[in-house]
Amino acid sequence: MILRTRFKKIGYLKYLSHLDLVRLFTRTFSKAGIPIKFSEGFNPHPKFSIGNPLPLGTESLAEYMDVELAEVIKPEIFMERMNKALPEGIQLVDCRLIEKGPSLTSIIAWSHYDIRFVSEQSGEAIDVEGALSRWNKLSEVYISKKKKKGKKKVERQLDILPLIGNLTYKGMDSDGFHIISGLLKSGESGNLKPIELIEAMDRELELNIDLDMVMIKRLEVFADEDGEIKELV
Amino acid sequence: MKVEKPSRYIGMEQNMVQKNPDEVDVSFAFSFPDVYEVGMSHLGMHILYNLINNESRYSCERVFAPWVDMEAQMRKESIPLFTIESKEEVKNFDFLGFTLQYEMSYTNILNILDLSGIPIHSRDRGGEFPLVIAGGPCAYNPEPLWEFIDLFVIGEGEEVTLDLIKLYDKHKKKGYDKREFLEEAQATMEGIYVPSLYDVNYNEDGTIRDRFPLVSGLPETISKRMIRDLDSMFSPEKMLVPYMETVHDRISMELFRGCTHGCRFCQAGMIYRPIREKSVDRLMELAEKLVDSTGYENISLSSLSSCDYSQLQLLISSLMDRFEDKKVGVSLPSLRLDSVSIDILKEIEKVRKTGLTFAPEAGSQRLRDVINKGVDEEDLVNAVGYAFKEGWSRIKLYFMIGLPTETEDDVLGIKELAYLVKDLFFNRPPEERKGNFSVTASASCFVPKPFTPFQWHGQDTIEEFQAKINLVKGSIKDKKVTFNYHDPRVSYLEAIVARGDRKTSKVIYKAWEKGCRFDGWSEHFKYETWLEAMDELGIDGSFYANRNREFSENLPWDFINPGPSKKYLQNEYTKAIKGETTRDCRLGCTGCGIQDCAMWGVFN
Repeated sequence: MILRTRFKKIGYLKYLSHLDLVRLFTRTFSKAGIPIKFSEGFNPHPKFSIGNPLPLGTESLAEYMDVELAEVIKPEIFMERMNKALPEGIQLVDCRLIEKGPSLTSIIAWSHYDIRFVSEQSGEAIDVEGALSRWNKLSEVYISKKKKKGKKKVERQLDILPLIGNLTYKGMDSDGFHIISGLLKSGESGNLKPIELIEAMDRELELNIDLDMVMIKRLEVFADEDGEIKELV
Repeated sequence: MKVEKPSRYIGMEQNMVQKNPDEVDVSFAFSFPDVYEVGMSHLGMHILYNLINNESRYSCERVFAPWVDMEAQMRKESIPLFTIESKEEVKNFDFLGFTLQYEMSYTNILNILDLSGIPIHSRDRGGEFPLVIAGGPCAYNPEPLWEFIDLFVIGEGEEVTLDLIKLYDKHKKKGYDKREFLEEAQATMEGIYVPSLYDVNYNEDGTIRDRFPLVSGLPETISKRMIRDLDSMFSPEKMLVPYMETVHDRISMELFRGCTHGCRFCQAGMIYRPIREKSVDRLMELAEKLVDSTGYENISLSSLSSCDYSQLQLLISSLMDRFEDKKVGVSLPSLRLDSVSIDILKEIEKVRKTGLTFAPEAGSQRLRDVINKGVDEEDLVNAVGYAFKEGWSRIKLYFMIGLPTETEDDVLGIKELAYLVKDLFFNRPPEERKGNFSVTASASCFVPKPFTPFQWHGQDTIEEFQAKINLVKGSIKDKKVTFNYHDPRVSYLEAIVARGDRKTSKVIYKAWEKGCRFDGWSEHFKYETWLEAMDELGIDGSFYANRNREFSENLPWDFINPGPSKKYLQNEYTKAIKGETTRDCRLGCTGCGIQDCAMWGVFN
């Protein structure tokens, strides 16, 4: 029996690492009295998995977790008990029973983000919308990715354009932050972090972005079925 | 991300308390002067946090030492230090209270004051700044911090902290004047020391001639505060549950205070006397509430020597029965070398047999008698043999080097014991050897502490320590035997500060000014800088660390009364040098000088 839940991670709690989050859920299951299944062996641990780790400091409205149950529990009751025990910034927003199938990590292929940032030159906002149309005409944009290979760190060049579904300019908010919305590859079949995109745009388009002040929020994740972007079941 | 582990600074943990400032009369910022995950592992913090926040009109918030990466950012952006709960500037609190657990955290205290925009010296702070107070075991020798701390709390904090806040509340309502408040606290409350109300004269050789109050009517001796009945005392029913992994990531329940063994190197064993226990009923009640409020799956039974708890078997079986279905485990942090301890351990560690740790403290029986560590080789042989039979295979042994009267033979005894443990394992029939054997012997460099029988003893020099370390290191030639040791340079500085006087405060200030902080962290420890600081001030570290002191000397901490008498400590030192032991005072009073000792009520 598997409960697929969607939760949000917002506010200060965006600073929780993936590991901290796993620890938090482990304790919460116990505290909320959830009849979760435990693994066998000398060091039994509760069986649950969180799809697609969120980069530290990124907010999200669309995190997913599969929870394996030892006994049936109604999704509403599960949500109610969990939310009572979870902090305000991390709350379940949806939950349903599913059949055992492919794991979340193997399903999730795309993430949709809102990215906010300041881009200005001598106090004047830069025309990010115009810059974005220049970006859309580019045929390739390489970034260097560091990868650990054993003990050595290897750098490789990667064209990121195939990892971008679409990018749209959404305007400026009241604090003077430009908002770009983007659909980016996210998962085992290719992954582009929003901050990598912003660094590349900053460099290619000379946007003079304050890279310490980029605010990112994941809004939705999608599956990819034979090249077709689909909502998660 | 510019700082690592940002969850150190965000708070929002389960059981965090944040009050509406409009409904708070007195606000208290509690600081453990080290990084978050160390401070959060300290039980005392959880006690005081809940104690103060239990009062509707008082609030307690936390502040830790920001790690060096965070400090760099804060200084760069001119961000003042703020508390975890409300993110309010520390400067705006009524109290800033430090817990003194370790001398090498003192530069962090200065750094926290500075990052908060609070003048570092007490004399430079008027009533507009928080009252800076400090307590904890290191406060038993308050003098090295006398220039920075307005008021010290000596002894156990549960009662006196609230008394102090109440007195402050009264003063605040009629118009707070710092000096007036300090004088009233010093004159009327037990366990309080306000260093600015006292002065000290020195002899030509640098020792203390006399000390006297600057205001008439103030006490000349400061007696520690002590809670008589632990069952009726405030005990936390909640604990903050950190998101990040901390040093002790579990419920911590205090079984008792005090210790009856009388190990001569141990400060805690002297200053927390007499022994006072919590009842099993009270502990079960607390455990129930703590498990419910935290969701933790392990309860650690803490004390100075948990196997001494008179109802340990009953407590453990009650806990195991009660929490079996919740998968809550029980752990014992300190173990004695006896089979009873192992039996208990066997019961609580049903599944995983991780490493076992024993603390013989010294390598030879002669030296164990000197320090009055009441274990012998036979105890070790029995306990380790039993542990091997039950399936443990990794053993850790803790030792100290530089103990009084120590010879090369004693030091080599460390190797002998480690090898003995190895032989005990491999002398078992092959089919009875379970697991992958290893033994680790760890040696710390002995730091004589105030209010122990060894408070007069001159510490080994760094060279002597190093020679002893090399001796052991060179003698161990077995892959299954590992030898670890502490940096003697840290222990040297620790000894200077631990038995320092008012002049030592200048060294701490200078070292901090030159960039020292997190001195207890080897990656940040700057030995040369400390030496420079002492050089510039013309202060000789060996005067504090390595000098043997006379019984007649007026020690910097003599004005504090910790319970056991100076006469008792002298007798114990004399007996130590002669290799005479003193029995566990559970078996009969040893005359330490504590008035109406509660021992007899518990055990007789």
